[in-house]
Amino acid sequence: MTHAFSGKYAIAGMAFLAGRFPGKTARTLEVEAVRLAIEDAGLRREDVDAAINTRIESGSGESRGWTDSYARILGLPAKTYFTVQRGGIMTHLAILAATQLLELGIATYVAVGYGATDWSDTRGAGERRQRHRERDGLWGRPHGDLAAASHHSFFASRHMHEFGTTSDQLGMVAVSHRRWACLNPRAQMYGRPLTLDDYRASPFFVEPYRKLDLCLQSDSGAAFVITTMERARSLRRPPIGVLGLGLGEAMRELWWEKRNYTNLAVATAKESAFGQAGLTLADVDVAELYDCFTTEVVLQVEDYGWCAKGEGGPFVASGAIAPGGSIPVNTGGGLLSGYYMADWTPFVEAVTQLRGDGGERQAKDAEVAIVSGHGGEILRPGMCSTHGTLLLGRDA
Amino acid sequence: MSWNKPLPNVDADNQPFWEGLRRHEFLVFRCKRCGRSYWPVAYCRACPPEPFYGNMEWVPASGRGRIFAFNVHRFAFHPGFADELPYVYALIELAEGPMYGTNVVGCEPAEVRIGMPVEVVYRDVTPDGDAAPFTLADVRPVAG
Repeated sequence: MTHAFSGKYAIAGMAFLAGRFPGKTARTLEVEAVRLAIEDAGLRREDVDAAINTRIESGSGESRGWTDSYARILGLPAKTYFTVQRGGIMTHLAILAATQLLELGIATYVAVGYGATDWSDTRGAGERRQRHRERDGLWGRPHGDLAAASHHSFFASRHMHEFGTTSDQLGMVAVSHRRWACLNPRAQMYGRPLTLDDYRASPFFVEPYRKLDLCLQSDSGAAFVITTMERARSLRRPPIGVLGLGLGEAMRELWWEKRNYTNLAVATAKESAFGQAGLTLADVDVAELYDCFTTEVVLQVEDYGWCAKGEGGPFVASGAIAPGGSIPVNTGGGLLSGYYMADWTPFVEAVTQLRGDGGERQAKDAEVAIVSGHGGEILRPGMCSTHGTLLLGRDA
Repeated sequence: MSWNKPLPNVDADNQPFWEGLRRHEFLVFRCKRCGRSYWPVAYCRACPPEPFYGNMEWVPASGRGRIFAFNVHRFAFHPGFADELPYVYALIELAEGPMYGTNVVGCEPAEVRIGMPVEVVYRDVTPDGDAAPFTLADVRPVAG
């Protein structure tokens, strides 16, 4: 039994720019992405009557905010403009807010945007130099807990300890993602194949993490336009339905709960999203999972149930998530080898796949895609709290 | 000593903890009703919350624990740590329950193991300039 929400709203337009855009501000990249998304939908800017900005703040340190808005710059007749954000579940929260604007009749077409200059801000330091610096409120900084890798690597430390997961298995996550990226001409690592030997030769940054366990940095802008499925059907592009949306928080339990070092807060997010959609994991054709580090992918293939807890290492090493595998994961190369736009990276790839625009990397008969988000403030002792599950589907 | 690394962020919620470290006492936030310990500031999950943490108090802990997870930093994300490489950053499961993130000192990084018993050692820091002195709590291996 599906929820009345499932399939009622649809992504009508989508656009993104990702890579290197020296000299462009995050604001301008967001403006351009929103402009392109409106054009992609076949709408005019006069049609957009609400605007939402997403940006990373909590848990990602020095991201610069801005008080100006893309709605003003673009000249959108928006009745409202506001920001939603929390770690890596920006698209999830924006859809939650936007669908309510539509449900209440406040708006008819809602634009949602994102912009970042992470690559330009770290130029000369290598693509994986993490810009992410912890905020003052976190207590580990004088001890050298300075970047996401400083504590996210605890997930790897524990998973290796409890389940015998190996560095080579993490390496196969990197290799799988690179194989996908080599099928995506827009990926930053397109044309740069990677072998397990290359991974083994990659220097340790924060052991057990090598450089290639860390995601990329990108300058980026991304946007979508959401409206009712009914309206979307008369627009230019095939509508992509919002089938289900769920959220999870590790902090609902004791925050040093040991399970939370080898599990993400998937359980409640998965239950809500799949319950609304009336779907099971077997219905998912493409999985776009938040992959800030290699271990997050191992945790999620277990947490969602593509394999049992503890078996994620052998599962990813088998090639199951790579091109030709049993479940295509991060088909655009993900954050590891595609581009870093937090959960916008899995989101735009899911829309691309469901539209059938995947080119060489197109998953066959992709009808249902999952978009996961992960992040949030990292309390000592190292807990990355939040999780989001979004199910998108091709219009039946 | 000259301090070229980030300073601790002391605010009204965690000030008693940092004052404890200055006295070389490692404090946890304990429930007056049931004795459960927490870190950092939080209400007891088992007892009714009283106004402004009324049922909670900062008390000295044993300063003992075990290594729960750890990593070895071989890259300095802040220039102040360039001379410290490689350094170990670990999660310590305190004997009282909560976990605490800190550096493991007094042994080589290659000797660190999950489950290893450790004890707190205090590092007094007197930064240059206007910043106030503070004390950090590292851990070192100890006989189990």
